[in-house]
Amino acid sequence: MAGVSMKEIKLRIRSMESTKQITKAMEMVAASKLRRAQENVARSRPYFETLYDTVCRIAESSAGLSSPYLEAREVKRSCWVVIAGDRGLAGGYNHNVLKLAEARMAGRNVTVVPVGKKAVESFRAHGFDILTDAYFEAGDVSVSDCFTLARDLCGRYTAGEFDEIHIVYTGFVSILVQEPTVMDALPLHGTGVVGTRSSSETIYEPDSEALFNTVVPEYLGGLIYGALCECIASEQGARRTAMDSATKNAEEMIGDLSLRYNRARQGAITQEITEIVAGSTSS
Amino acid sequence: MASFNLQVVTPDGLMFSGEAQSLTVRSVEGDVCILPNHINYLTALGMGEARITADGKTRRAACIGGMLSVQDNDVKLVPTTFEWSDEIDADRAERARAEAEDKLAQRDKLSDHELAVAEAKLKRALVRKSVAQGR
Repeated sequence: MAGVSMKEIKLRIRSMESTKQITKAMEMVAASKLRRAQENVARSRPYFETLYDTVCRIAESSAGLSSPYLEAREVKRSCWVVIAGDRGLAGGYNHNVLKLAEARMAGRNVTVVPVGKKAVESFRAHGFDILTDAYFEAGDVSVSDCFTLARDLCGRYTAGEFDEIHIVYTGFVSILVQEPTVMDALPLHGTGVVGTRSSSETIYEPDSEALFNTVVPEYLGGLIYGALCECIASEQGARRTAMDSATKNAEEMIGDLSLRYNRARQGAITQEITEIVAGSTSS
Repeated sequence: MASFNLQVVTPDGLMFSGEAQSLTVRSVEGDVCILPNHINYLTALGMGEARITADGKTRRAACIGGMLSVQDNDVKLVPTTFEWSDEIDADRAERARAEAEDKLAQRDKLSDHELAVAEAKLKRALVRKSVAQGR
């Protein structure tokens, strides 16, 4: 009896150990990728913020200008760009962002542009209307892909296919904290701070309409690219944390099992001695 | 000397931040020069050379796409790509130009999208080359 359970425990310890090695390796890979992704976020963030601020300010000070990008239309169909990861094993990273997206989309007429394998799979399985699944690998999406997508979306927006464009992504707050976020990209809206801006006139060149037609796709492309950078960093951060705790759990379980193994071994020896002693006295 | 606050931000990071005395960029309509106390202004950028004068020194750069905004003497240049003239790899630009021209030589075979991409590549390469050569 004791021998069988000893063997079983030994097997379990060995399998725990190989699991631990894998999670440890994944953690280290995620940590090194995270460092690169973090640098990327730090580099692109000023661009992201300046772009957003500038366009918001224009939208605010542009009372009287007419552009399809400025008017809030009655929302018949909205477009959601949802960015998630390509792979699992990243804690709640994929689940959280997809859950937020689905909660916000519930009961509306939506078209989804999923970015990343997990997003594509999830929306396909739930039968959402998908515009394109060309962005299957979030890790492979380049700056020019973002701008191509943005131009396409802007074209469809002005043509009236959608009345709103939102971006759902995971904001990178810190290595330990990642926040799923919804950003309302179009129609343009002010920052909500009224009266702090100078009211002096602004010259638009060429005219405001042509200007918006060139600037807005750039703006949307920049937003998507910025969101993507944040997402990649968040994914690695989430994976690092998840793998770190998995490694810790494995260590704990190995400790537990070793204790049980030693107890079983001790029990077996004691039993053997008892048997020998019993045998020698009876004879 | 009068100056204005200038920030140049691109997806690759903050390229310039500080006081400048003049900024010349190519907008979609042609070259524009921003001097201190310019009226509020907004334009979309074309493809061309940007010149920034700060502390009496002028630096040149290849500046492509994006926009320029002036608000209360606060100038923000938000291009898609921005490379200082001394950071441009002239050989690479030359290679890109040759490649794009080869591609355009057989334009009948290309789809509209491919044609547009090749043309944009050629233009970018030409801008880079001209900025790099002028240094």
